[in-house]
This record gives sequence, C-alpha cells and structure tokens, in this order.
Amino acid sequence: MTQSPPTISLEGLSKRYGDHVAVEGLTIEVPAGVVAGFVGPNGAGKTTTMAMLLGLVTPTAGSGTVLGHPLTDPAAYLHRVGALIEGPAFYPGLTGAQNLAVLAAIAGHDPAQIGELLELVGLGDRGDDRFRNYSMGMKQRLGIAAALLGDPDLLILDEPINGLDPAGVHEIRGLIGRLADGRRTVFVSSHVLTELEQVCDWLIVVDHGALVYQGPASDLGHTGAAIAAVPEHDHDLQRLERLLNAAGHDSEISGGEVLIAVNGSKPRQLAADVNRTAGAEGIVLAELGPHKTTLEDRYLATVNGGER
Amino acid sequence: MTRTFRAELLKLRRRRTLIFAALGALAFSLITTVAVVLSAEPVANSGPMRDGRSPTIESLSGSGAVAEPFSIGVSFLGILVLVLFIANFAGEFSQGTFRTLLMRQPRRLGLLAGKMAALLVFAAGALLLAELFSILTALIVAPSQEIATSQWLTLDGLGEAASTYATALLGIGAWATLGASLAVLVRSIPIALGIGIAWSGPFEHITMDVWDAATQWFPGLLLEAWAVGGTADVSASRAALMLCVYVLIAATAAGMVFRRRDLAS
Repeated sequence: MTQSPPTISLEGLSKRYGDHVAVEGLTIEVPAGVVAGFVGPNGAGKTTTMAMLLGLVTPTAGSGTVLGHPLTDPAAYLHRVGALIEGPAFYPGLTGAQNLAVLAAIAGHDPAQIGELLELVGLGDRGDDRFRNYSMGMKQRLGIAAALLGDPDLLILDEPINGLDPAGVHEIRGLIGRLADGRRTVFVSSHVLTELEQVCDWLIVVDHGALVYQGPASDLGHTGAAIAAVPEHDHDLQRLERLLNAAGHDSEISGGEVLIAVNGSKPRQLAADVNRTAGAEGIVLAELGPHKTTLEDRYLATVNGGER
Repeated sequence: MTRTFRAELLKLRRRRTLIFAALGALAFSLITTVAVVLSAEPVANSGPMRDGRSPTIESLSGSGAVAEPFSIGVSFLGILVLVLFIANFAGEFSQGTFRTLLMRQPRRLGLLAGKMAALLVFAAGALLLAELFSILTALIVAPSQEIATSQWLTLDGLGEAASTYATALLGIGAWATLGASLAVLVRSIPIALGIGIAWSGPFEHITMDVWDAATQWFPGLLLEAWAVGGTADVSASRAALMLCVYVLIAATAAGMVFRRRDLAS
C-alpha cells in the first residue's frame, strides 16, 4: 500500500495475566498514513494491545516497533505519538485548557497550540470550564485534543466514540476523518465496526486476543461476488432457494433475499437464468441485482468463525 | 523530571490552590500560636513539663523562642501531610491521570521524582508562610501574656527560627515521602489512608505502651521525636538516621514498583 516502513509492526505480541490470555501472539502491521481500524468484540485484547504500544503495559512475549523504535523503548517514540486510551482521564478540578497546559508542559510542547486544538475539537468556548462539568462527549473531545498536542505522527485512539450519542458519534467520526490527512497514521479501536467503516482504509480484526484479519478494509471477508433475488411474496423465498439449488446454482437465503454465488459465471447470464427459473415456476421477482455486503456483514462473518 | 516538575507546579500555581494554601497556613498559625501563647504560665505556676513541650512565660521570652509556637504547632502537622500526599498520589491512580501523564512522560522514575519535588517545594512554601504568620501572631499576642519579645528578632532569634523551619521541613518531607510511597504501592486512596493513619496513629501508640523500644524503631514515633528535637528515649540524631533509612526504603520500593507495574485498569 505504501513504500514507507510500517508505523506499527508487532511480532507475536502476547500478554497474560496469570491464566488469562489478553493478547496471544499478535502479529500485525499498520502501514504509514492510513486510518487503521482495530476492531473486535469487547474483551478481544484491543485496549491491552494499545497499552503495550504506549508503554503502559509490558508484553509477556513478542516484540514490535512503533515509528521504527522498539516497544521496549517507549521514550524514543512517544513524543511523536498522541493517544487516548481507556477513556479520557484528566484532573477534574482543572479546566479543559489547564489540563492541556499540564500535558503540554510535561511533554515539552508549545502551549500556544491549546486554543487552536480546543477550537478543532469544538471546545473553543468551553476551554475555561472545569473538566468535571464536561459532558461525556466533551470529555472525549478533550481527550482527542490532548492526543493532538505536539502534532503527532501517530494517533492511537481507544474507543473514542464510546458513550456518545448519535450526533456525537457523527461528529467524532468526522473529526477522525479530518485528522487523517495522509501524513499522519491513525490507529483507532472500536467494538462496533459501523462506527469506523466510513473512515478506515485499513482494518485489523481481533477476537479473544488473536488476529482474525488484517488488510485493506475493502478486502475483509471478500468471498466473491453474488447476485440477490427478492421474490414478490415472502412465502416464495424458500421455494425459490430450493428451485435455484436444484437448477445447479449455489444459493442461500440471507435476510429477506436469496443470494446466488456468481462462481465464475457471467453475472448478466446468471441473473437471466435465475429470472427464467423463477418465472417458470410462477415466482415473480420484485428485485434482482448485484448483492451489496456491508463491511459490518463481512466483519461479523469473519469474527463468527469465517476466517479464523 | 524538570518538565514534570513544571507541569505539577502549573496545577499548584492556580489561584484557588494558592488562596486555599495561604488561608490554611494562616488558620493553622493563628490557632496553634494563640493556643500556645495563651496557655503559657509563669514557671512558678506551671506543673512538671512534658517532654519540654509545655512552654512557660519565661521560656517564651528567650531569643530561641521566636518560633517555639510554630515548632509546637507543626509537630501536629505530620498526619495531615501524610493524608494530603496519599490523596494526591493515589488520586492519580484512581482518576487514571498517571496513565495520561505516562503517555507524555514515559520515564517513570523521572515522573515520580518531578511530581514529588514540585509538591515538596509547594509544601516548603506553605510551611514558610505558616512560620511567618506564626511569628507575626506571636508578636501581636505575646504582650498580653507579658512575654518579652525583645530577643525574638535578634540574629540569634532569627537563626533559631531558621533552624526550626529546617527541622520542620525535614519532618514534613519524611511524612510526605512515606505517604506518597504508600500511595504508589497501594494505589487506592481509602486503603492507603486506612493503613497510614491506623499505623502511625493507634497502632504505634498502642504498641509503644507495651513495647518501650517502639519509640526507637517506629517511623511515626521517630518523626514525633524528631519534631521536638529528640526525647529521653530517642535522640534527634538517631531519629534522623532511622528516618533516612525508612524514607530511602519507602522511596526505593515505590520507585521499583511504579517502574515495573502495568498501568491499565
């Protein structure tokens, strides 16, 4: 995807807490300049993995690099990384701006950017309010502003949309899209893929601490093209499926439609055959056309055992 | 460490914090100084002195007495300092802010040291303010008790005040380090407070009643001895030596644990 070395590269990374395996032998690469979605169910090991990237948690086994530096030396790369992990944690008695000033001071960043960052995340007029008085959405946005201090090359955002209302989700998703300007790599986790679908161009799917899929988002669970047929009457759905299978097609019911695998046929010819078969048995097709799968469909199919 | 020091000072430099600290120092000085001065009686009227800490009109009239009310008052401050440092450090864990700070300053020992240094500088400032308020209050109240203050502001008197300040500061530093270390090791405000208060309060004093040597070994009792310049059981030098050992052990243990421990909820 890019000739630059990967921003994040992990090799067999594991973390165990006694008998509990949080992350198991995770080997992933996040190319430079992408928005990489890190997706998996709750408890899949996403936060632990991110904590290891940030030097907060020591891996039990494995190795890796972030921005070309080994995980064992977080001081070498963390000044180029901005992160929000496990929810926004700030001093409740300090204002939003004061909290950012503390973080800018500790990292040696220019505090002059604080006003601009607050504006960017939509807190321009609330920067002087105490953090304890912020709503959940405002706290998340302050967390993102804090992550952006120092204009980092890598942004690590752990469930940044958690707890937000639909308007907040839309707003933060838009913000993530704007932050990924091709120069910066964004590594963002979520347990709900639809939250990230529109902004991610790279996807890493984990489940039970292990890798399930990594690669371009568009390739997730691609099992080949299909066409979808929808009979006029719902009670004809199963009859249509049986008819098509009897005619030698690879078909199955999915939702309110029958999916017929193209399997190397010409889609146009296949659609004509399906239409003819249905019509011969008196089934009127209300819809017939290419099947469109959402990323969420493919993700769920993958996590539920498809490619593991 | 320098950046962490500056960042911590940013929090402490807020107007509200400064006003609160100044008012606290003022209230503490007023209450303790007025109580000490007004309770002083002529030697002829006073009973046997306990540990040399019950001042008389005569003892307060000497050049060395300028900071005596402050010295007596500050000996009760240890537990408060312990509580404040436990709350501050353990609060960083419970709020998750240590995590946020470590993502910006991954050198963990530097983070702890910078934070501790800033808090101690702030405590030193508050302590100095308290001593100045105390001396001022004593100068105002002393004449009502017929305590002579002519020797107080001499070179000897001021030297004694400086010495009292240094002793108090070292004691406060030890309480602070023990509190911060306990907080880092335990990470929970209520548990650390429970351990710290129960140990230095009831446990040490009850044990002292059944084991005389406790005064020579227990950190809380040693700090009490240090605050009064030594007791019949423990000299100031032994108290200082033992406290140095305790502080060093506590700080080392806390540093080692903080450096290695995973910071994730």
